[in-house]
Amino acid sequence: MKNKSLTPVLVLLVMVFSAGIGLAADKPVKIGFAYIMSGPFATYGQFAKQGAELAIDELNAKGGILGRKVESFFEDTAGKPDVGIRVIRKHVFENGADVVMGLDSSGVAAAVAPVMMELKTPLLVTHAATPDVTGSKCNRYTFRVSLNINQNIAMASAIAADMKSKIWTTAGPDYSFGHQSWEYFQQYLARKKPDAVFLPQAEVAFSPAATTDFSSYITKIMNSKAEGVLISLWGGNLIDFVRQAADMGFFDGKRDILMTLGAATEVLYALKDKMPTGIWVGTRYWFLANDTPVNQAFVEAFSKRYNVYPSYNAHGAYAAVKAYAAAAEKVKSVEKEKIVEGLRGLSLELPVGKITIRPEDHQAITDGAWGVTAADPNYPIRILKPIRKFSGAEITPPVAETGCKMN
Amino acid sequence: MEAFFANLLNGLSWGMLLFLISMGLTTVFGVMGVLNFAHGSLFMLGAYLCLQFVRWTGSFWIGLILGPPLVAALSVLIERFLLRPLYGRDVSLQLLLTFGLMLFLDDGVRLIWGAAYHVVNPPEVLSGSVALFSRSYPLYRLFLVILGPIVGIGLWAFFTYTLWGKLLRAAATDRQMAEIVGVRVPVLFTAVFAFGAWLAAVGGALAAPHQSVGPAMGERIIIESFIVVVIGGMGSFPGAFVGALVLGLLHSFGTTFFPQLQMALPYILLAVILLIRPRGLFGAES
Repeated sequence: MKNKSLTPVLVLLVMVFSAGIGLAADKPVKIGFAYIMSGPFATYGQFAKQGAELAIDELNAKGGILGRKVESFFEDTAGKPDVGIRVIRKHVFENGADVVMGLDSSGVAAAVAPVMMELKTPLLVTHAATPDVTGSKCNRYTFRVSLNINQNIAMASAIAADMKSKIWTTAGPDYSFGHQSWEYFQQYLARKKPDAVFLPQAEVAFSPAATTDFSSYITKIMNSKAEGVLISLWGGNLIDFVRQAADMGFFDGKRDILMTLGAATEVLYALKDKMPTGIWVGTRYWFLANDTPVNQAFVEAFSKRYNVYPSYNAHGAYAAVKAYAAAAEKVKSVEKEKIVEGLRGLSLELPVGKITIRPEDHQAITDGAWGVTAADPNYPIRILKPIRKFSGAEITPPVAETGCKMN
Repeated sequence: MEAFFANLLNGLSWGMLLFLISMGLTTVFGVMGVLNFAHGSLFMLGAYLCLQFVRWTGSFWIGLILGPPLVAALSVLIERFLLRPLYGRDVSLQLLLTFGLMLFLDDGVRLIWGAAYHVVNPPEVLSGSVALFSRSYPLYRLFLVILGPIVGIGLWAFFTYTLWGKLLRAAATDRQMAEIVGVRVPVLFTAVFAFGAWLAAVGGALAAPHQSVGPAMGERIIIESFIVVVIGGMGSFPGAFVGALVLGLLHSFGTTFFPQLQMALPYILLAVILLIRPRGLFGAES
């Protein structure tokens, strides 16, 4: 009697398991993206989505990852840490994501990174630049494929060291990104140029993220005795600042100016010829910085599909998808723990150049480029000419300086 | 001295923009008792329509003149079909409705114009700058500084001397009494709401050459407008004028002299005013 009643159960079990195996082979690889899709920074989420979709379509056209189709899910972090944590959890638990990618805001990234230890799912940060994510808050599951603050500021300080200005001030957003940019700038420039002087905290200009009228900050800088200005404002803040500063005669050539994210294409497209020429600007990725076949193919495919040149955020998302695929091919699996091993020390060729994900802190060692804004009749926006390129090795601080203790 | 004047003009021009937006907010509240969360979105709509007209015609003035009436027309529909059924009911329903409208309009704008930032150039006549001591100061900002008081005086004259202005004040003071003496209050309400929306849209169109046009630009300004209205006294016109000027000047001088406190200054002022004069500087004591 006992055996008889067990048989159908066993048959059922066998069927379920074999069905499971059959499904596993065809089951798509699921990537969960978390970007700002609403509010004043929504343009960043939109660009990231374009980059991600281009990369996924390219992969699927070649048979996907390890023969499995790639599927994507997009969620809106609204730029808020609590929402960021919630949507990452949703990706892992509801959408069944094999990997999560994205994060535009440093605040969100710093909040999400520690949660990844609990979710045991790899996270590839593509935009947020806070050093903490691959520093004091580094962990087994968190990686970054884009340039961080330190790398970008290392380039800024190298350029500043060659300028005449000795007294420096800053205009930046009044939260950790602006303050950290200024702190590292002082630290790095003082090493290269010991006689550099930095205005005290009360005399520099940090504006709240919601600022739309920068006139009082511009007046403050123009009335200070600073000769050089590090501007870490970005997105809409930077657009407003540049227009209002131009009207107030800020770009009269009397001061040295560095804009750490001035070469972001969304800014250049909005400003067009309102962007002054002859200004040193940085970005995370510049579409004309190198002429490798990989970059040319990316720029061509992207601009053909979306009618704009790729922004750095589009490149970040594209790069993360490609890095994940490369890691999966390397370890022949998409199992989360194996992917972590695959990403560690991974080297691959991306549009930005060759990157290597450092196993000690999971930060990508990636090349960077700054340049001087210039007009060119062949482009609808300002381009960079000349361009100064930096190798990843020279701009990435040693692991010992990052404060990362990998667990 | 030079720094003082630069700060003064910075504060005044920003204050005037705030004033235009707060005017509509405070009028709608004063007359109708409606706290309109979507006011910032109407401001945003004014900026986007101005952008669209500039794209079509190349003229900022056409955007400034034609855009706001369109926003006013839209708000007639909003008042007539969405807001009107809620008068007489719990205030929280109005808040929910206008908050929902804000989300709806913000996303609508993103669907039509995309999430990117846009730039509107100031009109040719106002695009230069004038000499101010050893520096130059943008003409467009001076235009805002001059325009603010003109609009303020115009509105004050409207409310004091015209029949419509008197009717509005009558309805604001005592709605029932106004109805008894034959004022068609529902029509008046529609007109007031449209007028508030028109003011918001004018503010948006004027802000377009001054800041980037992007989704959620209204959310940023609505908070400061609320502070202006509370400081000045809910429903008070002189209050909105003084409140906007105080906030504008606090912003410019605060940046120079109290940079670390600058973000908190408007809220500190708000708290102090609420403690000393809970109904605002020009609010009627009940």
